[in-house]
Amino acid sequence: MKRRELLRGAAVTGAAAALSVSVAAGQKSGQSAPPPDELTPAQRGVDASKDLASPNWKPLFLDEHQNETLVVLSDLIIPATETPGAKDALANRYIDLVLAAEASDRQRAFLNSLAYLDGESIHRYKNAFRYLAREDQDDLLHSLAYSKGASGWTGEAAGPDTGHGHFENLKQRIMFAYYSSEIGTRELGWDGNVMHGVYQGCDHEEGSHK
Amino acid sequence: MIWNIFDQDPLSQTYDAIVVGSGATGGWAAKQLSEAGLKVALLEAGRAVSPTEFTEHTPEFKLKYRDHSPEVIRTRPIQKQCYACMEYNYEWFVNDLENPYSTPADKPFTWQRLRVLGGRSLVWGRHSYRLSDNDFKAASRDGYGDDWPISYADLAPFYDIVEKYVGISGAAEGHEMLPDGQFLPPMKMSCGEVLLRDKVKARLGRTVTIGRVAVLTQNHHGRLACHYCGPCERGCRTFSYFSSPFTTVADAVNSHNCTVITNAVVSHVNMDSSQNKASGVTFVDRLTRQVKEVRGKTVILCAQALESTRILLNSSTREHSNGLANSSGALGRYLMDHVTGGGASGHLPEMKFRPNANEPQRPNGLYVPRFRNTPSSKKNPQFIRGYGYQGGAGPQFDFSAEGYGTSLKNAVKQGVYSIGLGAFGESLARWDNCCEIDKNLKDAWGIPALRISMTHGDNEAALMEDAASSAAEMLELAGAKDIKLQSRTEMPGMAIHELGTARMGDDPKKSVLDKFNQAHDVKNLFVMDGASFVSSACQNPTLTMMALAVRACSHLIERFRSNDV
Repeated sequence: MKRRELLRGAAVTGAAAALSVSVAAGQKSGQSAPPPDELTPAQRGVDASKDLASPNWKPLFLDEHQNETLVVLSDLIIPATETPGAKDALANRYIDLVLAAEASDRQRAFLNSLAYLDGESIHRYKNAFRYLAREDQDDLLHSLAYSKGASGWTGEAAGPDTGHGHFENLKQRIMFAYYSSEIGTRELGWDGNVMHGVYQGCDHEEGSHK
Repeated sequence: MIWNIFDQDPLSQTYDAIVVGSGATGGWAAKQLSEAGLKVALLEAGRAVSPTEFTEHTPEFKLKYRDHSPEVIRTRPIQKQCYACMEYNYEWFVNDLENPYSTPADKPFTWQRLRVLGGRSLVWGRHSYRLSDNDFKAASRDGYGDDWPISYADLAPFYDIVEKYVGISGAAEGHEMLPDGQFLPPMKMSCGEVLLRDKVKARLGRTVTIGRVAVLTQNHHGRLACHYCGPCERGCRTFSYFSSPFTTVADAVNSHNCTVITNAVVSHVNMDSSQNKASGVTFVDRLTRQVKEVRGKTVILCAQALESTRILLNSSTREHSNGLANSSGALGRYLMDHVTGGGASGHLPEMKFRPNANEPQRPNGLYVPRFRNTPSSKKNPQFIRGYGYQGGAGPQFDFSAEGYGTSLKNAVKQGVYSIGLGAFGESLARWDNCCEIDKNLKDAWGIPALRISMTHGDNEAALMEDAASSAAEMLELAGAKDIKLQSRTEMPGMAIHELGTARMGDDPKKSVLDKFNQAHDVKNLFVMDGASFVSSACQNPTLTMMALAVRACSHLIERFRSNDV
């Protein structure tokens, strides 16, 4: 569908009339646009996608060590391959932004998981996670990444799988930060086009679905 | 731009009809009455809405918090329980801090509300199904509750009118529980859905059909066919899904017989007690808090079931001391909301499609019409009535993939082919499920707020248990693996299908409204939203609400023509 068709569609509807309905008593005369403070930033057209890339960026919630640890960890969880990874996507900066606005129990849970990683690292390799050699970091993550019980972490299996729980907590934050970024959205195939054509569905013969 | 300039103060005249609420039903009432030549005032508690504020094409990364905004959590903790309330559009939803209601501590209820022109029609789920006489006459068939005072034949012509105008895409199935309608071409099914449909039909004889949705599959009355961008609840620049501001309300305005008054928070209906007639409504200006009155020959409440009932309960007079039009005592009683929480999901490992964010996003899924306690099935020993499923099958990104590193990145993109069904079950009409005025609680406009008291009962829980095992059985037939059952009974309100509280009936001692949505006690007062439902059936109710409103308006127009108002 082309842009011109879209515009034509809008013009033939009665929509424009309803929108500009001037509205009698409750509103100032002639006012049709909604008051800006009753629109969300997105509805006002605010584009916040470049905010985190500011050269003057400083963490709002994390301290420097925690932030650096998160950068190292995000690069290991979702590395750059033929496509950029979580470090390029500034996953740490988004996580910091959200943490700064969250309730204290959520903040504490995140810091506990980050501290668990450092604690295990110091216990096993005698230094904090971000200072380890890459192969030791990999070794440690591998020991935490897979559930010891049934496959798939349900969020309820604390106890013996404490380490895996902390790993998943950090991993889920990093994954959301990555896949919701512009880089991550492109990783999933998005190319900025909103006109995808008609949903085609299945046209296979019975027995040949794939 | 067309401007509707009034020569006179819109509050100085007496309208033929005052319509309170501009959503799915209020839009229809305004359209039908104004196009018939009546002078209509359409009151909306919120502001006007413009397509310039639609965000369906805005990618999430442009949002500062990518839908984790602390402002939404702070001001809309209840509204956020619905997926449709997002960082994109939360200003359309009421601010929970300004719009309180109470519940008993052990009876949580979630109440989703929009105050903006068009109301919930801006964000609704769009599934549109007819009820049948299995629903309208259910009490006669199984002995529970009351029949509706109308039958399918009474409503069928009005379903036709609504469907032809709204544009419902769907497939005719000739199903005993789900009458066919006036359909635009159906949307397509995925391979997994076709597989499920064929296996379930062959082995169980049940129908699986594509959802019947108010989303256009071809251009229709000046609105464009869907372009499959996905998130309808953020608005639609091509007006491809039905919402009232850009259809019915626009028609009403274009008739030059309808005055739209936004920011009018209606507190109560005014009565002329000498004639026992409604004389208009009083509202509080949302922004200035000035109290104003609109006069009308008829008053039509379309504010949604609970809000319309709240207005009536707040309209007590000496003659109507327990709420207006409540001589039966049934006002506020028989609150219903479809029970949800039963279903199953799994994977179809043999399907090899990979997900891609750049492909058409179909704003629709499957529908499985009710197959329990139907004329052609055995009576179920565990429960009465039944449920329908919504669901679907298709490739999804695997965000729960194990591990980390390159393999994780690949696994996410590889995806999984998921399949799932979730039930909407009938909510039985029960006297004890009710709303009343909380004398200690007022909203930000000083209007007494509601106390809502509702639980789902044993029958609803049994429906969800059965819905879980039946869904698993059907998914297994399609070859699904890793099937997970879910048989919760979700909190009432979660379906966002509030119904009842001003039920219709032939007996004024047992019902609030007559079969034309007119109050038994006050002849020029009407409630034309979901409050009139006698039973909930299990189908999504908006289509039926709209058809009832159009039917009631046709009757009212006849009465105006014969000077019987």
